[in-house]
Amino acid sequence: MTLIIGGRSAGKLDYVKSLGYSEEQISRDPGDDCPVLYGLQDTAAEDPEGAEALLPLLLKKELVVCDEVGCGVIPLEKRDRQAREAIGRLCVLLAKNADRVVRVIAGIPTVIK
Amino acid sequence: MLILLTGGAACGKSAYAERLTEGYEGRKYYIAAMEPFGEESLKKIARHREMRSTRGFETIERYTDLEHLVLPEKGLALLECLCNLTANEMFSEKGAGRDAVGAVLRGIETLKKQTDTLIVVTNEVGSGYDTYGDRTPEYIDNLGIINRAAAALADQVIELVCGIPIFLRR
Repeated sequence: MTLIIGGRSAGKLDYVKSLGYSEEQISRDPGDDCPVLYGLQDTAAEDPEGAEALLPLLLKKELVVCDEVGCGVIPLEKRDRQAREAIGRLCVLLAKNADRVVRVIAGIPTVIK
Repeated sequence: MLILLTGGAACGKSAYAERLTEGYEGRKYYIAAMEPFGEESLKKIARHREMRSTRGFETIERYTDLEHLVLPEKGLALLECLCNLTANEMFSEKGAGRDAVGAVLRGIETLKKQTDTLIVVTNEVGSGYDTYGDRTPEYIDNLGIINRAAAALADQVIELVCGIPIFLRR
């Protein structure tokens, strides 16, 4: 599994498509058999406490794409703080288990693992 | 030659940009996009003026409509920064509104034609947790699109981290 991270609108989806994946191969549902899981930050935010349990499903994917969300100020609402925390922790776990980690900035991918 | 500098707030982009212009023989223009609203921006502007004062820059204040800017002569331009320019085009009365992305990108093209070296400073704003209820997500998306397009045009893309340059493309 390759983890692709980067800020909102940094060019992650364009990068995925540049690797040859089509729209039909990209989904937001970790449970289906699409090779690419996109928007992990939203999936994890739905149930922050259960986010870690997604790990086995995510590791079956070829690509997992997640926004980096930890470089802003602390959110005002508790549920947002919990979601932000869960997304960050999940990304650390994913990165640990990933074969590769790619960070996209201004549309430019850099392999960081 | 187009160089794009990016990074978080106060990471040393301006200082690095100005170092890049050292030794340049022709005319040097500083295109300032920050509209002076209140004490905070005045302070920041004063700080940047001070940094440039000994480096032979001619300052041009331009908050919107970069695409119709005419430089007196070909030279080097330092444009600072896309984050202000994008906000001005989106939200200011004189801005391009819905065409903000197009206006900023055409502005970069216009400047590129009139310079032999163009250094563009932008900002990374998309790595916070989006809990904004207003037009901020739209701004983040627009700046993201602009940054990607500018990076695609650029010969060099450099991210600054604590003043340290990381070469994303060179």
